[in-house]
Amino acid sequence: MTPPTPSPAAPLEVTDEDSATPAKSSAPKGNESRSPGRLAWSRFKRDRTGVISAYVVVLFFVLGIAAPLIAKLYGKDPYTTYGMNTPGLLNEFNFPVKPNGGISSDFWFGIEPQLGRDVFTFLFYGIRNSLLIAAAAALLTTLLGVVVGITAGYLGGKTDYLVGRVIDILLAFPQTLFFIAFWPVVLAIFVSPEENTPVWLTVTSLILVMTAFGWASIARLLRGEVLALREREFVEAAKVTGASPARIIFKELLPNLWTPILIQATLLLPTYVTTEAALAFLGVGLQDPTPDWGVMIQNGAKYYQDDITFMLFPGLSMVIFVVAFNLLGDSVRDALDPKTKR
Amino acid sequence: MSLSRRNFVIATTVAAAGSTLLSACSSGNAGGGNGTPNAGATEYTGAKVTVGSKADSTGPAPEIPGAKKGGTIYGIAPDDFSHLDPQRIYFAYNSTVALLLHRSLTGYKIDSSGKQKLVGDLATDTGTASNGNKTWTFTLKDGLKWEDGSELTVDDVRHGFERAWAPFITEGATYAQAALTGKGGKWRDAYPGPYGGKHLDSIVTDKAKKTITFNLAEPKPDFNFTVAMHSYAAVPVKLDTKEKYDKQPVACGPYKIKAHTTDKSMVLVRNKYWDPATDSIRNAYPDGFEFDFGVETLAGTDRLIADQGNDQYAVSIYKGVPAERIQKVLTDPQLKKRSFNGLLTGSYYYWINTKRVTDLKVRQALIHAWPLQQIRQIYGGPSAGDFATSILSPDIIGYEKYDLYGKLTKPQGDPDKAKALLKEAGKEGMKIVYAFPQDPTYLKTKVVIENALKAAGFTPIIKPVDSTSYYDQIQQINNSFDVMWGGWSPDWPTAFTMIQPLFDGGAIGNGQNNVSQTNISWINDAIKKNAVISDQQEAGKAWAALDKRIMQEVAPIIPETFQRRFYLFGSKVGGAQFDPNFSATLLYKTFVKA
Repeated sequence: MTPPTPSPAAPLEVTDEDSATPAKSSAPKGNESRSPGRLAWSRFKRDRTGVISAYVVVLFFVLGIAAPLIAKLYGKDPYTTYGMNTPGLLNEFNFPVKPNGGISSDFWFGIEPQLGRDVFTFLFYGIRNSLLIAAAAALLTTLLGVVVGITAGYLGGKTDYLVGRVIDILLAFPQTLFFIAFWPVVLAIFVSPEENTPVWLTVTSLILVMTAFGWASIARLLRGEVLALREREFVEAAKVTGASPARIIFKELLPNLWTPILIQATLLLPTYVTTEAALAFLGVGLQDPTPDWGVMIQNGAKYYQDDITFMLFPGLSMVIFVVAFNLLGDSVRDALDPKTKR
Repeated sequence: MSLSRRNFVIATTVAAAGSTLLSACSSGNAGGGNGTPNAGATEYTGAKVTVGSKADSTGPAPEIPGAKKGGTIYGIAPDDFSHLDPQRIYFAYNSTVALLLHRSLTGYKIDSSGKQKLVGDLATDTGTASNGNKTWTFTLKDGLKWEDGSELTVDDVRHGFERAWAPFITEGATYAQAALTGKGGKWRDAYPGPYGGKHLDSIVTDKAKKTITFNLAEPKPDFNFTVAMHSYAAVPVKLDTKEKYDKQPVACGPYKIKAHTTDKSMVLVRNKYWDPATDSIRNAYPDGFEFDFGVETLAGTDRLIADQGNDQYAVSIYKGVPAERIQKVLTDPQLKKRSFNGLLTGSYYYWINTKRVTDLKVRQALIHAWPLQQIRQIYGGPSAGDFATSILSPDIIGYEKYDLYGKLTKPQGDPDKAKALLKEAGKEGMKIVYAFPQDPTYLKTKVVIENALKAAGFTPIIKPVDSTSYYDQIQQINNSFDVMWGGWSPDWPTAFTMIQPLFDGGAIGNGQNNVSQTNISWINDAIKKNAVISDQQEAGKAWAALDKRIMQEVAPIIPETFQRRFYLFGSKVGGAQFDPNFSATLLYKTFVKA
C-alpha cells in the first residue's frame, strides 16, 4: 500500500473507518458515543410538528420583542384613540363603520370598538407584555419549584416535612383573593397618592405573586419523583463513589426529571397568560392603557355579537400560541425521553 | 354600564318637574326611525308633576288596555336589594321593590306616557296644609290592612316616621326629621326613638278620625312630596322586629315576600289583604314575581335578547342595556320593540376639589379640556344621553340651558383653550389626580380623559378606587384627589336638593356630599334666600341664575351628561315602562301577555 500522492480526503475516510479516535466520535454513524443532548437534538429535528411549533413559538416571541419596531414601521401606536379622534371610523354606537371590524389599508386588523385604538399594534404590544410577564413568572416558578422540590425529596426528614407543610399551605391558599387584598396594600406602601402607579411595579408584583403561589405544585411533584429515584441503584452507586449531594442532585437526579419539569413548565406559560388576564379583569393586573393580550380577549368576548373580528385576532393568535407551545413541549419531552414516545 | 351609587341614592320622591319621559317611549319605539339608530327619549317634557285631587287618589288604579290578571313576572338584576326595611331605603334600586311591598302617605300615579301626579296612597288625598305650610294633616283611607289581616292605623304611619330615630336606621332620608325638629343636621338629639315608649310631640294622631297631623318647625310647602319617600312608609307597631325587619318586612302593598335568599333570589306572592279599591297607583296584574340576583348586566341582557323559556316573562329590574349591546338592541326592530327607555332625573359630574385646585383658571382649563364626546361615546354614543353644561338638570323647575365653556360646540374638548388658560395661571404641566370607581366603563373613560389632559398640558395621575368604597373615599375632606367622577340626582322637584347638598359651605364634612368643598359666602347666602321663595317658578329662576353664576365664577364641577337608558323585557311581558323616579322597570304595571 504505497499510494504516491494520497488525496487529503482518502486517508481521512480510512482512518475514520479503521480507528475511531475519540475526537471523531461525533460523526453521524457513531450513535452509541454521542451525548444525550445531541441525541435529543437530532431526534427533535426529525419531529416535524415540534420544529414547526418551535418556529411558531419563536415567531411570537420575536413579534413581542420587536413590537415597537413593527409599530414604528407601520406608523401607528397602541395608545392613540384613532376611532375617537378621526370621525368616520366609528359609528354612533362606537362600533367600526367599515365591515370586518374596520379592517382597511390603514388599520390592518381593524380598530377596537369604543376606544377606537389600532388592533394591529395593540395586539403585538399585548403579546409583548403578556409574554414577558408569563415567561418570567413561568421561569421563576419552575426554577424555584425544581430547587425546592428536589432538595426536599433528596434530603428528606425534617426539611421535607417543613417544606411539605409550606406547600400544603400555599396550595390551599386562595391566591386570587390574596392578590386582590394585597394589591391595595402594595399601592399604599409604594405609590404616593400624588403619583401614577408605575407599570414596572404592577409587572414585578404580578410576576412575584404568580411565582410565590405557583412553585408549590411543581415542587410537590418533583419531591415525589425524587423520593422514588433516590433509592435507585445508580444513586446508591454515586453515593458510594463519594459524589457530593450537589453532584447527585444535578448530575444524577435532574436528568431523570426533565420530563415532568418540561411538561409543567409548558403548561404554566399559557396558564399564566390567562391568570394575568383574569387578575387584570379583577382590577389588580395591568390596566388600560397598557396593552394586554388576555384583557384584549376578554374585551373581545363582550363585543363578539356585533364585532367578531375584534375577538378573532387576539383569540386566534392565543389559540395558535398555546397549541404551538404545548406541542413544542411534547416534542421536547419526546426528544429527551424516547421511551415515552407515543 | 354601571350606575353611580349616588345615582341610586337619588330621589326617592323626586322627579316632580317634567319627569323625563317622552310619551312615545312607552310604546317602545321612541325617537328616530329605522334609519337613524339614535333613538330614544329626547324631550324633557318640562311639565310639572301635578298634585292630584281626592278623586285621583281613590282606587282602583285605571286599567291598562289588554292587561289581565295572573301569571308570574320574572326579574333579573346583578345585585340583591340592599335593604327592605322601608326606613332604610334611599337607594333608587331598593325602591323598585319597595313600590310592591310598602306604602307611604302619598305616592306618584304614573300614566302610560310617564306623566306623573302626586296622589294620596295611604292618605285619601295629598294632605292639607295650614298655618303657613307648617301644619300638614293627612287622613287615612278605609280598608287598609297589613299582610296578616290586621288594620293599618295612623299609629303605624307615625311609627314609620319615628323609626327614623332608631339607632340602627342610618341609611334613610332626613328631610322630615329635620323639618319636624327644626334642628337641621342635629335632628337625632331631639328624640330618643320610638322604642322607649315616647312619641314625637310634633306628630299628632287621631285614631277615631283616622288623621295624622305634622306640626313642622319650619314652613315646608312641599311636605306632601317628602312623605312620598319610602323612607317614610308605614311600619306596623305590633309587628316591628327592629333590626330583623330589614330581612322580613311586613307588607301593606299588593305583594308580600314569600321567600328570600340573600343575593340569590326572591319570590313575591299576592298579599290577599291588599284591596285594590284603596290604591289608585298600583295595578298588580301578575300573581307573583320571581327575582333572580347575581346576573351580570351583560349576561342578563343577553338572556333577554335570547328570549328563551321563563326569560320570555322576564324584565331587567333596574339595569339598562349596556353600551356593548345598544347597537344590537336599537338596530334590530324585533328587539327594539321589546325595549323602552327614559331619561334619568339626575346629572353626571366630575367634582373638582377646590381645596386642592385653588386656581379658578385651572378649573376652567379642566372644563375646557374635558373630552365629553369621547366619554359619551364609551357610554354608548348619542343614544346614551346628552351633554350637560350646567349644575341643574333639565328635569328641574327653572332649568336654563347655557354653554359658558363652549362644550356643546367643542364636546371633544378644547386643548388649545385649556393650554392658554393654564399658561395664564402659570401652572403648565400641573399634576391632576383623577379618581374614579374601578369599573369596566370608567376604566375606559379614564383612557380618553388621560389623553385629553395630556393634550391640554396637564400631567394626569390616574387613581382607580375600589368601587364599593368609592363614595366613602371621595367624601373624605382630606382626600388627595383633584378631579372625581360622580353624579347627583335631586331628592326634590326643585333645585334646592341639587344645589344645597352640593355647594352649601355648611355641607362640607366627611361623608357629606359637598365633594368639591365649595364654601363661598355668596353661594351660601343665595341658597338660604332661594330656599324660602314660595313661588316655585320665581324660585326656579333664582336657582338657575345661581347655577350659572357658580359655574362662571367658581367652576367647581365639570358637568358631564344627562343620561338616557334603554331597558329590555321579554316577549310575553306587557305594560313594561320606565319608572321616571327610580330609573327602572315599573314593576307594578307589568302583566303577562296571553
